[in-house]
Amino acid sequence: MDIILNHSSMIPIYEQLMDQIKSKIIQSVLKEGEALPSVRTLARELRISALTVKKAYDRLEEEGFVTTVHGKGTYVTASDKQLAVEARRKAVEDAFTKAIDKAKAVGLSKEEILEIVNIIMEDES
Amino acid sequence: MISLKNVVKTYSDFQLNISMAIPKGRISGLVGKNGAGKSTTIKLILGLVKPDSGEASVFGTQSCKLTIKEKEQIGVCLADTGFSNQLNILDIESILVKMYPGFDKAYFQRKCEELKLPKDKIVKEFSTGMKAKLRVLVAMTHKAKLLIMDEPTAGLDVEARNEILDMLRNYLEEDEERTILISSHISSDLENLCDDIYLIHDGKIILHEDTDVILDQYGILKVNEAQYATLDQTYILKSHKEHYGYACFTNEKKYYQEKYPDIVIEKGGIDELILMMTGGYR
Repeated sequence: MDIILNHSSMIPIYEQLMDQIKSKIIQSVLKEGEALPSVRTLARELRISALTVKKAYDRLEEEGFVTTVHGKGTYVTASDKQLAVEARRKAVEDAFTKAIDKAKAVGLSKEEILEIVNIIMEDES
Repeated sequence: MISLKNVVKTYSDFQLNISMAIPKGRISGLVGKNGAGKSTTIKLILGLVKPDSGEASVFGTQSCKLTIKEKEQIGVCLADTGFSNQLNILDIESILVKMYPGFDKAYFQRKCEELKLPKDKIVKEFSTGMKAKLRVLVAMTHKAKLLIMDEPTAGLDVEARNEILDMLRNYLEEDEERTILISSHISSDLENLCDDIYLIHDGKIILHEDTDVILDQYGILKVNEAQYATLDQTYILKSHKEHYGYACFTNEKKYYQEKYPDIVIEKGGIDELILMMTGGYR
């Protein structure tokens, strides 16, 4: 699996791994029923610890993207489009929450924050 | 797989007193400064040193009572191969064939070729890197369930180290139940391989943590005197006086990132962990 990890990023490795597998599932690069590499295979390929891979797989399972059949492997679950859309939305919300927290910490008001958002949106359009 | 329960070993100038439990399928790293007790710990596990009190066991059997059958399931890589310097690869191969019923001759020969280990040269003439590769290969080739490696990458350049680590990764991939205990000075080797890390200092385990937790949640806060005075100390494990103020080691980097967005926070790796927790931080 072509996954690119950034070891100097502050984002935990298991989270980077999760996000990339997730987007592969959402974009149907990984299809329903398809097997993910075994924990140790992916650990070897990416040169990270097996526990990190396992953590990512466990979280993906909690979120319903994959199912692990004990002793057999981890498979992509029936890709629920609604679930995928929600997951993406959640990620965006999280990013906004972080930015808003930062803005509040430096004392920006709601109006000022909204103004920043408007300016950025206008720049892009 | 490996269990040390309150194992105590006293030497005239040093006492080791540790407990650890390594389950099946786990890759554990043992780190610590020179003389911290890493090699003694490994010798206790292997039954090469008898504990004064407490219990060391492997596969549920007391270490000093391990049977030959059980020993065949352990692959060991110590500072020395244990083979005479005058032997060559072919000699060693014929010894290993007799020693281990599980010895995979074809694999051994293939690996020797891949690793460019000359068959007819005596070990004495091997380079440091070649000797190290041979030590690791000898430990792996009988398909042991458990590998115990004391500094397998010591003294090697980055390429040779990666080759050895890749050998270990391949070995692990072949059977998910395989377990490794590895000690090393080179923290990046352990960061990319081990599931968890034991930090040993003055004969005691002072920290045991999952590697990714260390990498993700541990960090160093760099603060000036004024910031330090008002700093919430809840998750500060250790602080050291610096010329600019203080370096504070935390296991909750995120908490401080959110609470003090202006403070400089660096990632904490295993090197930082050793330096901060054993008092040598500079």
